[in-house]
Amino acid sequence: MKKHWWKALSVLIVLYTIIAGLIIPLKPGILKIKQSGLNTGQIITAEVNTYNTRYENGDKLDAYLKINDKVKLYSSSSKILGKEKVELTFDVPAYLPQVKSFDYTLILVDPKHGPFVRPSAITLKQDKVDIEQALATWPKQNEIPLKFIDGIKFPFRTILYESIRNTFYHVPMWFAMVFILFAAMWYSIRYLVKPVFRFDIAARSLTSIGVILGILGCLTGSVWAKGTWGTWWTFQEIKLNVSAIALLIYFAYFILRSAIQDEEQKARVASVYNIFAFVAMVPLLFVVPRMVASSLHPGNGGNPGFGGEDLDNTLRMVFYPAIIGWTLFSFWLAELLYRYQLLQEKMDEEFD
Amino acid sequence: MSSLSPIWELIKLELKLEWRMKYALAGAVLYVITTIFVLYTTLQNEQSIPWNALFWMVALFITVNAVTKSFASTSGADNLYLYQLSSANQVIIAKVIYNLLLIFALLILSFGAFSLFIENPIEHDFLFILTIFLGSLGFSLVLTFVSAISNKTKNNAVFMAILGFPLIIPILLGLIKLTEKALESNVQNYLNDIAILAAIDMILFGVILILFPFLWKD
Repeated sequence: MKKHWWKALSVLIVLYTIIAGLIIPLKPGILKIKQSGLNTGQIITAEVNTYNTRYENGDKLDAYLKINDKVKLYSSSSKILGKEKVELTFDVPAYLPQVKSFDYTLILVDPKHGPFVRPSAITLKQDKVDIEQALATWPKQNEIPLKFIDGIKFPFRTILYESIRNTFYHVPMWFAMVFILFAAMWYSIRYLVKPVFRFDIAARSLTSIGVILGILGCLTGSVWAKGTWGTWWTFQEIKLNVSAIALLIYFAYFILRSAIQDEEQKARVASVYNIFAFVAMVPLLFVVPRMVASSLHPGNGGNPGFGGEDLDNTLRMVFYPAIIGWTLFSFWLAELLYRYQLLQEKMDEEFD
Repeated sequence: MSSLSPIWELIKLELKLEWRMKYALAGAVLYVITTIFVLYTTLQNEQSIPWNALFWMVALFITVNAVTKSFASTSGADNLYLYQLSSANQVIIAKVIYNLLLIFALLILSFGAFSLFIENPIEHDFLFILTIFLGSLGFSLVLTFVSAISNKTKNNAVFMAILGFPLIIPILLGLIKLTEKALESNVQNYLNDIAILAAIDMILFGVILILFPFLWKD
């Protein structure tokens, strides 16, 4: 039992990431805004569809448009239309304290949900720019204190929405794949140092699991791409291309094995190729995407990487365990496959 | 009618033989996919011109053809003789250098032929020649090594494609990127790309030096 604790641990962690990753709700957010009128000097109403809110009649709700750090335009009235629907009315002064037309950030705040934001939410237009006049006429109102509501919730991101949870499945698959393939390389090295067939079988099992993880990574990524980019697969995306090539490199490993008859030579050549493949794959996955611009993935082609606001503490709470859990779980799978193939090998020997 | 049926039978036989060697088929499919993929990646970039993609496509095929025979010509007794004369690393270094020179000469030749028959849109000759050199080195390293591996199988040419192409594509993408820069009138920050390509070449070289002795001892 002593040496099997990590298997139980991997199952517990994976269960935790599945349960926590799927049950923890998203923070409230703004889904859709229907704006009537956009010229200055008139009353503008906006019908706002929110997400994950529980508005009830009689709730006190404040809303404002953020013009800049100093100037904010508060709604003159707000009406609750439903659990996730409110109507806001803005008295827009005749002049904007800014350029001709601009998309303003909408912030909703109430005691129940705390503040939440949607950038570029409301468009305002004016015919003439008169900043002095504007600053004189813009209402000065006291700041509403932003009181954040504590509690564990995943961030609400437009475009991503609920699919942000895929961070716990798609990304750890690739992490686990790299770890598993590294281990495959390790056993290939050990085989070359000391030609014992067990090492070759271990390398082969690990590579199989690594390829399966790669395929799973592609599938989970494909589902995510469908939801966010609107397509199952795009060849314009360099990361998709390089991961497909990485899989091809490892498919070739198995084709190579099938083409050599002599068992000893097969194991040796396959080990050599496995090491070479891993060394070639690392720059492919981690250097080439940064070199060739234009990528929609975080951290490539000028996009911000994971970290900062996008990977907040609640996501980290599930994301890091998910990497550990899936990696351990994959090692267990590889071990099972290894034992199975070892037995098969022994049976073959006995029948010969 | 009867004179046609043997032909039909022979066609069926060919089909069966093809099916029996599935990896030969996989190799052919890989040829198609790699070619179209590289063309696609190059052409979808608006700044890039077909010349760039064409040049490197031609380069890929010339190179694969030139290097395939690298280990095929020496076999069995020849290898044993070489083995007694020199160490494995001496053999692979000699082959890599020879293939590097061969590929470099062939690519310079095709650059000349391209300029003569099509056009020469390259603005920075030195950068492009350097790109060709780095490319030749990368191609030579990967393909010489892959040639050594595929020589262990019965289907040398097919395995050059199956093993070689996926390993070559990253280098090819980098080369196309550098060529794009050589096509611009004012080149900037290409040193980084050159450094990356050179680093990849060096890493591959190191790994090959370590691994080749294991392939060599038979």
